[in-house]
Amino acid sequence: MLNFRKIKDKLFLTFIFFGAFIALFPLFHIIFTLIIKGMPVIISRGTMFFTGTLSQGGIGPAIVGTFILAFLSSLIGIPIAFLVGLYIYEYPDSKVSEFVRGLLQIMLEFPTILVGVFVMDILVIPMGTYSALAGAFALAIIMMPYVSVYTAEAMRNIPYTYREASFSLGLNCFKTAFRILVPIAKRGIFTGILIAIAKVAGETAPLLFTAGGLYEIYPHGISAPVGAIPLLIYTLIQSPSSTDHATAWGASLVLLLVFIGVFIPIRLSLKEVKL
Amino acid sequence: MRYAIETRNLRISYGKKEVIMGVNFKIPEKVVFALMGPSGCGKSTLLRSFNRLLDLNKDANVSGQVLVFGRNIYSDNVDVMEIRRQVGMVFQYPNPFPHLSIYENIAIGLRLNKMVQTKEELDSRVKWALEKASLLEEVEDRLDDFPSSLSGGQKQRLVIARVLAMKPKILLLDEPTANVDPVGTKNIENLLFELKKEYTIVLVTHEPAQASRISDFVGFIYLGELVESGPTARIFENPQHELTDRYVRGILSIGDKNGRNTN
Repeated sequence: MLNFRKIKDKLFLTFIFFGAFIALFPLFHIIFTLIIKGMPVIISRGTMFFTGTLSQGGIGPAIVGTFILAFLSSLIGIPIAFLVGLYIYEYPDSKVSEFVRGLLQIMLEFPTILVGVFVMDILVIPMGTYSALAGAFALAIIMMPYVSVYTAEAMRNIPYTYREASFSLGLNCFKTAFRILVPIAKRGIFTGILIAIAKVAGETAPLLFTAGGLYEIYPHGISAPVGAIPLLIYTLIQSPSSTDHATAWGASLVLLLVFIGVFIPIRLSLKEVKL
Repeated sequence: MRYAIETRNLRISYGKKEVIMGVNFKIPEKVVFALMGPSGCGKSTLLRSFNRLLDLNKDANVSGQVLVFGRNIYSDNVDVMEIRRQVGMVFQYPNPFPHLSIYENIAIGLRLNKMVQTKEELDSRVKWALEKASLLEEVEDRLDDFPSSLSGGQKQRLVIARVLAMKPKILLLDEPTANVDPVGTKNIENLLFELKKEYTIVLVTHEPAQASRISDFVGFIYLGELVESGPTARIFENPQHELTDRYVRGILSIGDKNGRNTN
C-alpha cells in the first residue's frame, strides 16, 4: 500500500517535470535557433554588422533607431504612467480610479497595430512624414499600462504600517508618497518600467505606420523617419534575397541580446529593500 | 489640573459599525497610562484618535472631543501635521523605514519637516534621539547600516528615537512589544520608565501583566467601552467591576458577559 503511494508520487513528479520541459521547450528552441542561424552571420560580417548601413551589410541605423525609440517613448510614457499608477493607489475607491483601472486593463490587451493606426491619424498625416516622434508616441501608449499597473501594485504591496509611520511623523501625503513609499516600492516600479521598455523594444506593429524605417543612413532628428530592429527584420524577411534573410537572422540575435541586456543586469543590480 | 489627554464622550465608528461607544477619561501629564483589554476591543482605534492618525481611514467617523493639553484636536482650525508631531506614535510592528539607514530613519522627519537648519544641528539631534532611546551605544559605529541588521527590540527603539527626534510631548505606543523577544521587551519597558520623566506615555497592551509592571494608571477597555480606569495598583488589587476583576485574573475572553462580539 505504501509502495503504491510512493509510485504514484514519483509518477506525478515525472509528469510535472515533462510538463515543465514541454512548456519551456519553445523558449530554448528560439534561443538555440537564433544563435545557430544568427551567430555565423554576425561573425562573418564582423563589427560592420553593428555599425554599417544595410547596403554595407550592417544594421547600425536600426540599432540606434531602437534605442532612440525606447528612450523617447520612455520619456513620454513613464512619467505620466507613473503618476497614474500613484493616483489609482492613493485613491482606489474614486470613480476616476475605477474607470482608469478598467482602461488600463483594456490598454494591456489592446491590438498594438490599432495604436499605430491611431497615431498615424493624429501625428503622421498632419506632419506629412513618418517620424521618430510618432513611433515613440505609439510605443509610449503601449508601455503606459505596464508602468501604471506595476507602480500601483508595488505600492499596494507595501505594508500599511509604513504609511502610518510616515503620517505619524507629521508628513503630508505628498512627502509620504514620494519620499517614503515610492523609494520602498522602487524595485517593483523599476521592474514594471523594464518590462515596458523590453516590450516596446520588441514591438513591430505600432511602428509600421509611424516610424517609417531608416536603414541606409543614421537617424538625424526626431521629426524624421527612424528605423528599428524588429521593423527591419519584418522588412528583410519579405525580401526574396537570401542575403537579406541572413541579415534578418543576425538582427534577430541582436534583438534578443538587446532584450536580455535591458532585462537581466538592471534587475540584478537593483538592491532589494528588505521589509 | 491640566491633563495631557482628555476625551469627552468620544465615539468612533467604521461606517455603521460602532467601535468606541462614548468614552470619557483623563490622562495626567508625565505618567504611563496603559489602555488594556482583549484583542479587537478598539484599543488601537482609540489610540489612533489621539493623533488623528485615524483620518487615514476614510470610513472612520469620530464624534465627541479629544483634548490634548486642553485643546480639542478635532476642532476645525487645528494643524493636523503639528498635532502628529506633538503626539508621536510607535507601532505594533517595528517599522523603521527599510530603505533608509539607521541615521536617515531619524533624520528624514527632521529634514522633511524642516526642523533643523544645518548638518551639525541634524547630526546632534539624531545622536540626541538615539541616546534618549538608549540605542546610541549599540549602533554608534554603524549608523549607515540598514535597520534590517537590527534585532526586533532595537528596531522598536529606533522607531522610538525617530519619534523623539520630533520633540513630542506625548508618546502613543500600540503594543510596542508584541513582536519583540523577552530581552527586547525588558529593554523597551526600562526605556519607558526613563521616558516618563519627560513625556506622557499612552501604552496599548493586551497583557495585564505588562500594564501592571510599567503603568501608573490603567484604563480597561472592553467591547468599545471604558469599563474602569484609575491608578494601576487600585485597579489590580481592588477592581470595582466584575469584568475588570476577571480580566486581570486572566479568565475573561472576548464576547463574554452580554454575548456581544466585535466581529
